[in-house]
Amino acid sequence: MSSKRITLQQAAEIITDGASLTFSGFTIWRRPMAIVFELIRQRRRGLHLIEVNGGPQTEFLVGAGCVDIWESCWVGHELYGKYGANLSRRVGNGEIIVEDYSHAEMMFRFAAGAAGAPFAATQTSLGTDIHNPAYDMLGRAGLRDGNNSRIPRHKYRFVDDPFYGAGQQVLVPAAKVDVAVMCVQQVGEEGTVRVSGQYYSDPEAARTADITIVMAEEIVPEEYLRREADRNTIPSFEVDYVVECPFGAHPTGMFGRYDVDGAFLKDFYGRTRTQEGFDDFAKEWIHGLDHLGYLEKLGWPRMLKLKANTALNYSAREKKGE
Amino acid sequence: MGKEYAAPGEYGLADLLCCAASREVGDNEVVFAGTGLPMVAIMLAQKTHAPSLKLIFEAGTLDGRPPEIPTSVGDARCEMGASRASGLYDAFSIAQRGYVDLGFLGGAEVDQYGNVNTTCIGDYLNPELRLTGSGGNPDINSFARRTVFIMVHEKRRFVKNVSYITSPGWRVKRWPEGDFVPRRSLYGAAYRGGPSAVISTAGVFRFDRESGRMYLDTCHPGKTPREIRELCQFDLDISRVAGETEPPTQEELHLIHEVLDPDQIFIPRVKQE
Repeated sequence: MSSKRITLQQAAEIITDGASLTFSGFTIWRRPMAIVFELIRQRRRGLHLIEVNGGPQTEFLVGAGCVDIWESCWVGHELYGKYGANLSRRVGNGEIIVEDYSHAEMMFRFAAGAAGAPFAATQTSLGTDIHNPAYDMLGRAGLRDGNNSRIPRHKYRFVDDPFYGAGQQVLVPAAKVDVAVMCVQQVGEEGTVRVSGQYYSDPEAARTADITIVMAEEIVPEEYLRREADRNTIPSFEVDYVVECPFGAHPTGMFGRYDVDGAFLKDFYGRTRTQEGFDDFAKEWIHGLDHLGYLEKLGWPRMLKLKANTALNYSAREKKGE
Repeated sequence: MGKEYAAPGEYGLADLLCCAASREVGDNEVVFAGTGLPMVAIMLAQKTHAPSLKLIFEAGTLDGRPPEIPTSVGDARCEMGASRASGLYDAFSIAQRGYVDLGFLGGAEVDQYGNVNTTCIGDYLNPELRLTGSGGNPDINSFARRTVFIMVHEKRRFVKNVSYITSPGWRVKRWPEGDFVPRRSLYGAAYRGGPSAVISTAGVFRFDRESGRMYLDTCHPGKTPREIRELCQFDLDISRVAGETEPPTQEELHLIHEVLDPDQIFIPRVKQE
């Protein structure tokens, strides 16, 4: 069996210009930031992000000009930044296509994708502008002509429940993604993933994608994970590549390992309202550094403050909200 | 046990909002929590009049009993003492299946029918300001029996028509025409309820059962109904005002500041003297 192990640089190279992409995690938790930074270093362009929800990973990629299309429902930094300033700026300038769905719609789109079903039926968000036909932005851009296998022919459809007569339902298209980039606590050499804590929408993301790259805090022996298979989250064969990268989620947090670096996110949010501000931030924290250089710049004292207490699974040192 | 109310000056507006929100929670109810002040409010209810409430965090924690306040719903703190920690597919399936009694939500703009906007200010196709987007706001609002909105009260936020209906109120748009119809007629068998209250920094508002229109229920201490009507761009019904919003009790203030949010992440302490 050939090894699934690759480097951060190789992981980013697998994601080519124009690829459709999704991520593990939830808002400011367990985002594959080290690979995101590497994509920015490699100046990837034309990405199509399809996310259950956005977060710092979205904001970094959008700010760096890597993204042409964003389909999701939310972007921000929770209490460390009210909204996604980079997305907001680029939407205002007409530099990015944003397709808005609701959170449950996005989740059900991934559940359908993961099940190999073409769509999901739901009763959410009826009567809202999410279903305003004039606000079908991919349609307005002429991209629903069937030429892009990642873009469905319709944003949504209404049908009446043909089975139980429950009235109007919304059909939302399955998510179709080229690559899922995951960031987790443990992965085995063969790809078995063990997520600790809430697994968010990770199982659906990994199953939906054609290629799944798992970046883990540690690569552990498969045999160790297989002793208690019921604790595992994603089966080996759904994972194509594995990368070991400690603190790869920073500045987002990881259950049992480290907290969100709120000060970092606040600084990012505050400084990247303008493109000049973003470019300056990227120059300081991304370009000219590799992951070890980034960690060195952060420094031990900062990392130790974020480090989770192994009994509590969160840091007892980090003062929350700062 | 009698209630010992805090005196004016002993509490702040955030305390008042938190306590008003907490009182919307019934015991044994399943409550869906978003990040921020609502989390404090729900945990306050859990520690006072609703010890058996079931708390669901959107990111996938079910029946959580966090010992300290999580910074967001993805936080490791959510899971301490929970019945199950899983993911969003569980959380939204549970909501769509009809388990959720109450959800707390926020918004940038609200209209008199309780339609809420969290998506953009100005024309969606050419926005003045793009906001966070919907998140789970429309989902919780579609699935729960009751939803309570907590908002900053400014005239620019209480509007005739919201820039974008992110989350459905009592009169919503029927597509493709976009004409306004009663919520119940659109939701059919999926209808369970809708917005039951708006708690703003000025007062508590509820909705008429028949018309779906917002009315002023209670004014926060120091505010008059006329002043509050002036803070709305629509014609606010002030004919049914029940009085003043109940102030926090000493016990509630103690729980908020000493137990739930001692670091003042979401609720600042009032400076004494």
